[in-house]
Amino acid sequence: MTGITLAVPSKGRLEELTREWFAARGLTISRPGGARSYLGVMDGEPDVTVRFFPASEIARELIRGNIDVGVTGRDLIHETSETGPDSVTFALPMGFGHADVVIAVPEAWIDVTHLHDLADVASDFRSRHKRWLRIATKYITITRQHFARAGIAEYRIVESLGATEAAPASGAADIVVDITSTGSTLAANGLRVLEDGVMLKSEANLIVSRTAPWSDAQRAQVANLLQKLGAAPA
Amino acid sequence: MTNAAMRRAQLEALVEAQGGCRATPPLLLPADPYFDLAGEEFGRRLLLTADRTGAEHCLRPEFTLPIVRDYIADGTRQPAAFTYLGPIFRQRETGPAEFDQAGIELLAQPDGDVALDQVFTFARAALSIFGLTPRIRLGGVGLFEALLVQADMPAAWRPRIRHRFGHPEAMERLLSRLEAAPDLPRQEQPARDVLVEDVTARMVSSGLSLSEGRTPEEIADRYLEQQALDAAHVPAGTLALLRQYLAISGEVLSALRQVEALADAHKLMLGAPIRTIRRHLDSLGEAHVSFDAAFSPRLDYYTGIVFEMTGRHGEVLASGGQYDRLLERLGATAPIAASGCALWVDRLEAEIAP
Repeated sequence: MTGITLAVPSKGRLEELTREWFAARGLTISRPGGARSYLGVMDGEPDVTVRFFPASEIARELIRGNIDVGVTGRDLIHETSETGPDSVTFALPMGFGHADVVIAVPEAWIDVTHLHDLADVASDFRSRHKRWLRIATKYITITRQHFARAGIAEYRIVESLGATEAAPASGAADIVVDITSTGSTLAANGLRVLEDGVMLKSEANLIVSRTAPWSDAQRAQVANLLQKLGAAPA
Repeated sequence: MTNAAMRRAQLEALVEAQGGCRATPPLLLPADPYFDLAGEEFGRRLLLTADRTGAEHCLRPEFTLPIVRDYIADGTRQPAAFTYLGPIFRQRETGPAEFDQAGIELLAQPDGDVALDQVFTFARAALSIFGLTPRIRLGGVGLFEALLVQADMPAAWRPRIRHRFGHPEAMERLLSRLEAAPDLPRQEQPARDVLVEDVTARMVSSGLSLSEGRTPEEIADRYLEQQALDAAHVPAGTLALLRQYLAISGEVLSALRQVEALADAHKLMLGAPIRTIRRHLDSLGEAHVSFDAAFSPRLDYYTGIVFEMTGRHGEVLASGGQYDRLLERLGATAPIAASGCALWVDRLEAEIAP
């Protein structure tokens, strides 16, 4: 196989911003087959095949080494697999798609301001309520890793694939781990981010797979692309 | 017969020879009890699958839980011994997800010390099949609990410190926080009923149930307790004692002498748990034994003495100890003594690979 594959988000604001970002650096991505097509080209770069993917699939395929270079959020690399961050190189932060993965508790929990408070509450939750403290999130991997580091083991994750912030009011969970850029959705739902509750700061990144089977020619092509984009060599 | 097959046959024979019942729990087990007992941290290592109703199952990740659950369901409370040898399944960083584990569970034995000696003897016999003399690391859960009960501090801090035993980073953070606690003058506290009213109003306005989870009273009480705790300092001398104690680690006899010296200096009565550890050294024979004051599995049902036997490169070959609180955690209505260990058969084989 010759040439390299660049995967970019296939829809929405992220797609627009990504194409604008490349265009601002003199590399125009076009989609000859229209918005329904999953294949694109980068003008003047015949070695680069552009593919349009959902952002979470880009993370997965970068980690597996099925694509060489991609644009996706740092959070998705960390969430897709525990080995995700070690399987890729974050070549360049792109300055958009900013969002934090945070721990938020009901605003009424006036006694819980830090993780160590949560550790206390979690440790005797079970004996008080005959069940574990429940955390609603779609960030299962990140939550497990972060809570393990914080020494909190007494909780259960309730997987939530949408409207996580509503889980405490609906009774599905006690607290949430969610992504937020301004915190306003959380606040509107009566939730407050812990003072040390930011688990991960994320933004869109240009990411190079470390597990892809690189040939020397492909290495040179990636180095060339990164240089044009102003990134340090991967 | 190859050497490996010979060793396997000897291990089978050892497992059969413990005078107990050979346990063969199903390969497919309900996953919930594992999450309930060990939380998400262990849960992420399970190999999960779901049935048509959506109920989660896992491939057997260890033997203790199904053995103990069956024993409790049986309701006899009579002394019992179980052994096992067979495949378990876990997500691991390296190596296949399926591998063999062997082990022993001694339940409701009249003498916990005798039971633990039998566990030690079983583990050492298994290792000797592989020609290994292990390094043994002992931890004193009972010893730490005895120290904690006697150490001078406001009572509310004890469970918080106990809870972090076996988790060095979390313990370090707590001790540092306590050391740095500012000497603030005690602030006027709002009255409890005012707080409860305030919390209730906040919960109602964000649509939270007042009874399904944490209640307004619970939150207000913990808030007041927290304010009181911030004012109720753990004495600097106690924090120094905890740090000195947790740092003790090394050859067992000299480490225990250090514990004794520390106990003398702080007028603590730790003779009984120290003597208990010494008594067990006889059953550990020629092995290189160390005592590590901060060592404990993270799970809070461990009691008494815990241990690890490690190989040439520090891999854990056998681990176990006493866990007298496990059966109650799994639904037993009265305390039932328990001890046992698990052996990592693939690591034992790897240890003697050329």
